[in-house]
Amino acid sequence: MNASAHTAPRETRGRLLERFGLLLCLLLLVLVLSLVTDRFLTVDNLTNVVRQSSINAIIAVGVMLVILTRGIDLSVGSVLAFSSVFGTTWLTQGGVPVPVAILLSVGAGVVLGLTSGALVAYLRIPPFIATLGMMTFARGAALAYTQGQPVSGLAGGYRWAGAGELLGVPVPIVLLALVYLLGYLLLEHTGPGRSIRAIGDNPEAARWSGLPVRRVQLLVYGISGGLAALAGVILAGRLNSAQPTAGVFYELDAIAAVVVGGTSFAGGKGSLSGTLIGALLIASINNGMNLLNFPADLQAIAKGAVIILALLLYRQLRRTRPGRAVRAPTPNENPEPHPS
Amino acid sequence: MKTRIRTLSLLLGSLGLASAPALAQEEPTLGLSVSTLNNPFFVTLVEGATIAANEGGAELLVLDAQDNPSTEAANLEDLIAQGVDAILINPTDADAVVPSVLAANDAGIPVFTVDRSSAAGAVVAHVASDNVAGGRLAGEFLCEQLGGTGEVVELEGIAGTSAARDRGAGFNAYLAEECPGVEVVARQPANFNRAEGLTVFENILTSTGPVDGVFAHNDEMVLGAIEATRAASDVSVEDIVFVGFDAVDDARAAVAEGSLAATVAQQPALIGALGVEAALAYLEGESVRESVPVDLQLVTE
Amino acid sequence: MDEASAPDAPLLSLRGLEKSFPGVRALRAVDFEVRAGEIMALVGENGAGKSTLMKILNGVDRPDAGSLRWRGREGFPASPAEAQAAGISMIHQELALVPDLDVGRNLFLGREPRWGPGLVDRRRLYREAQEELDQLGLAVDARATVRDYPLAQQQMIEVAKALSLRARLLVMDEPTSSLTGREVEVLFERMRSLRSRGIALVFISHRMEEIFAIADRITIMRDGAVVSVDPAANLDADEVIRRMVGREVGDPGEGGGWPAVAADAEPLLEVEGLGRGRAFRDISFRLQPGEILGVSGLVGAGRTELAEALFGVRPAEVGRLRVQGREQRIRHPGDALRAGIALVPEDRKGQGLFLGMSVGANTVMAVLSRFLAAGLFLRHGRLRRVAEQFVERLRVRTPSVRQEVRNLSGGNQQKVVIAKWLALEPKVLILDEPTRGIDVGAKAEIYRLMRSLAAEGMGILMISSELPEILGVSTRILVLHEGRLAGSFLPAETDSDELMRAATGTRAVAAGEGAAG
Repeated sequence: MNASAHTAPRETRGRLLERFGLLLCLLLLVLVLSLVTDRFLTVDNLTNVVRQSSINAIIAVGVMLVILTRGIDLSVGSVLAFSSVFGTTWLTQGGVPVPVAILLSVGAGVVLGLTSGALVAYLRIPPFIATLGMMTFARGAALAYTQGQPVSGLAGGYRWAGAGELLGVPVPIVLLALVYLLGYLLLEHTGPGRSIRAIGDNPEAARWSGLPVRRVQLLVYGISGGLAALAGVILAGRLNSAQPTAGVFYELDAIAAVVVGGTSFAGGKGSLSGTLIGALLIASINNGMNLLNFPADLQAIAKGAVIILALLLYRQLRRTRPGRAVRAPTPNENPEPHPS
Repeated sequence: MKTRIRTLSLLLGSLGLASAPALAQEEPTLGLSVSTLNNPFFVTLVEGATIAANEGGAELLVLDAQDNPSTEAANLEDLIAQGVDAILINPTDADAVVPSVLAANDAGIPVFTVDRSSAAGAVVAHVASDNVAGGRLAGEFLCEQLGGTGEVVELEGIAGTSAARDRGAGFNAYLAEECPGVEVVARQPANFNRAEGLTVFENILTSTGPVDGVFAHNDEMVLGAIEATRAASDVSVEDIVFVGFDAVDDARAAVAEGSLAATVAQQPALIGALGVEAALAYLEGESVRESVPVDLQLVTE
Repeated sequence: MDEASAPDAPLLSLRGLEKSFPGVRALRAVDFEVRAGEIMALVGENGAGKSTLMKILNGVDRPDAGSLRWRGREGFPASPAEAQAAGISMIHQELALVPDLDVGRNLFLGREPRWGPGLVDRRRLYREAQEELDQLGLAVDARATVRDYPLAQQQMIEVAKALSLRARLLVMDEPTSSLTGREVEVLFERMRSLRSRGIALVFISHRMEEIFAIADRITIMRDGAVVSVDPAANLDADEVIRRMVGREVGDPGEGGGWPAVAADAEPLLEVEGLGRGRAFRDISFRLQPGEILGVSGLVGAGRTELAEALFGVRPAEVGRLRVQGREQRIRHPGDALRAGIALVPEDRKGQGLFLGMSVGANTVMAVLSRFLAAGLFLRHGRLRRVAEQFVERLRVRTPSVRQEVRNLSGGNQQKVVIAKWLALEPKVLILDEPTRGIDVGAKAEIYRLMRSLAAEGMGILMISSELPEILGVSTRILVLHEGRLAGSFLPAETDSDELMRAATGTRAVAAGEGAAG
């Protein structure tokens, strides 16, 4: 229980290996794909991969913040669908300008997210149940709002958010970078960000330390809803159409990116860079299989296998490091006896 | 109220007190279990069925399985328990629906399948588009447009669904038999989904370079592919012949606009209507064909 | 009795028991015996080893060494079920009855008489249950629901259950803690009648008057060893307490030298008539700047509950509280922190630390909101300086403030928790068992720290179960007994005997303010 303070330098090295290890998995995949097809490692294709990952990667930031507080957000796919049909309907039928439509869309996502957050923080409904309810509710709302029909024929400005370019960089990639920059600022440089990690690490101690636990919970679910809606704007822009059926299973892709990225369901631990790498990993697998013209029935198998292999490899890398203090059961847990 | 009348008439019938015409006037109740109402295709199918039921003087109970086999099983249980006169099933899955079909068989309720079939059990009639013929139709159109030579991409539906299987089979059979000059250079699943149609076609474009034609197992995927082409720098929509399947509203609009060359139109309303008509005819004691193929059309303008 | 032994031979005899837990020797060379038809009282401070001993007897724990002889046979029971089958039954403070079942069902729970596979012979069940109850002279109906009887009756129903299991030895762990005076009398009467039937009883209690009212002999334990076994008639309460506490009261305070208390200074904290349910009531005291007010008492006396109320974790229901003369209503920790009250909790890992976060992040957690630019952005530089300052001041042994708290020793973790609260610059610092599970060196450092904080004018409330610590560190001592203030003492004018008497309710000391208040 004492003297483990001296493992600190190794601990830091372990940290590097931990982050580096995940990147290593991605690079390994890139290497394999580059070897089997010369189409993979091209600027155009890599741009494709990043652009395709942007939707999942942006959603994953919100989901990660929620998971950091020991929560879960299953509603992101449905929130994406509702907010995108909501905003685009105002655009096509309400005649509002594009920026207003986008704000309405993101606003709708934030409101739905805050609703989940309020259920969790104030009504003490377990996050799984609260967001499962929101998932069903938002999907139903999207279908009812559109009577099941897609909202198509979007104005050029809206499409720019998905298909346009800014200084030669695709707009989804610009938004992706912006979201990660803001996410980094939030998590590493703000009070609420520090509180997010603290609540995930030990909710009871957070309460005892006078942190605004409920407001922070509200915040992360609100952000998650807003980012899902932003991803919906990109998706609708790319498809030139907003669909009430969009985003089915997106929550699972996002959770996969977050978890592959090293965030622990036990809360507190996780990095944005890991999540981004996780999302890129998933997008690379999909892209590679298309490039290789993989048969349909093998694609699901390959995707599942690669995700699990990546996780195993990553864990193996961490296990071989000397310190191994991060997710192992508390080594200094003192079974304090109460002899009387 | 309705139940009470029916009970009464059953009672009278069993006592031999009611006359046959009186029973015949009792409006028959049909149950329709639909795989999902999240998809406009099935919404239209249900609309067609509802109209046909109204015209035939029947009551139609519609239950939505939400693409979930267990919801479907529960719905069918309900219909059987209610003692409807006939059940129309649009299964979520050909295998998963079998126990429910068998249960209906046991209860003596005639079963009709619409659009998708059941793998086993006694089904009076299966009413569906002839997807194989539809695939051939698409192949024929594409071959014609390309003048008999070219490279094409096939975007597949969800692996294992009969629609994906049959449409692909008809398309590829036609090309192999009648149009050897057209080669399928990439065949990739995009799971009937527009967003996936977009990303998959983006990836294919970087891998194969420009292609001459695209056939997708449904319109959603082909619409995604068109958006991918629009966003790409080195190809333009006009250079590629896109053919979809289902003729949903967005696809009809795209055909009108010119970006989509053609879409194979199933006629969901007709499927629904023919299903109801087959069921009513059977209840009237008429003979019904085991397989009721529903015509497909090519929408090109 | 089936064993062919002399009437005076012990029914139960334990010899040379040894038991260690990591870091603690819970039992050392313990001998313990009970004769048939005898009531043996077992007394000792919290932590003296009574529970461990009883757990071994009941088959919950196994000793590292020693032997057990029970009714002429050797061997330790492997499980409570085995102990029960052998005739040893335990009756705990918390009752083990199912309140919504009827009495008969409770008596035969899991071993109902049957007349065929799966069929309960209800008639026999109630008849036999009623017989057991009648034998005890209880006015209890076997068909009535347990919940409908008062606690004392329920306690006796549990005794009846134990007897229906053919128990020859009954261990009663603080059976009177939730009973009224009259109920205790009834219980004792039953216990005497059981004794006359040849049943052996072990009676665990902190209440001296009860022990002397009922026990034939008294076994006294201290620090895991048996101090003495004597007939109750040869002892008195003072002697028992003296033996429980021992004479060697070590001085953790390195000898005297309490910080001077300005008697006329404005009190930092004034508490009047504070109470919450049964946990504690009518608590009044004052805390002056520079005071270290020790709060002593037995487990369950309401000390932690009082601390949690002062900090707003579980707010008080009645009473008033002033900080520096200003009335405060404290309903959650935020209120307390704003009022300048901080609490270092007893459960360090559960309530105090963020194990996966750095020493620095832990240290500044409670003051984050004071170091934000534009109300949002962390001032990293200043936060690090604050953290480093406290790490240095508290001598937290860590290579850097970036080190995860998980990797520190218990003593250093405790310093981090204290640092977290000190960073808030509280006026009143409450420490609940501040040295539990901490090595001697770190303990001394924490005592030094408390003194220097007090010298700087802070008011400290220290809850501790260790009398040497209370006597050595406090400038004044409050003793709680069953949720009430049982006395106020100056360490120079009292000793552990007196504190223990107050804590066990042996001598009623006028509640209220002592000399220094």
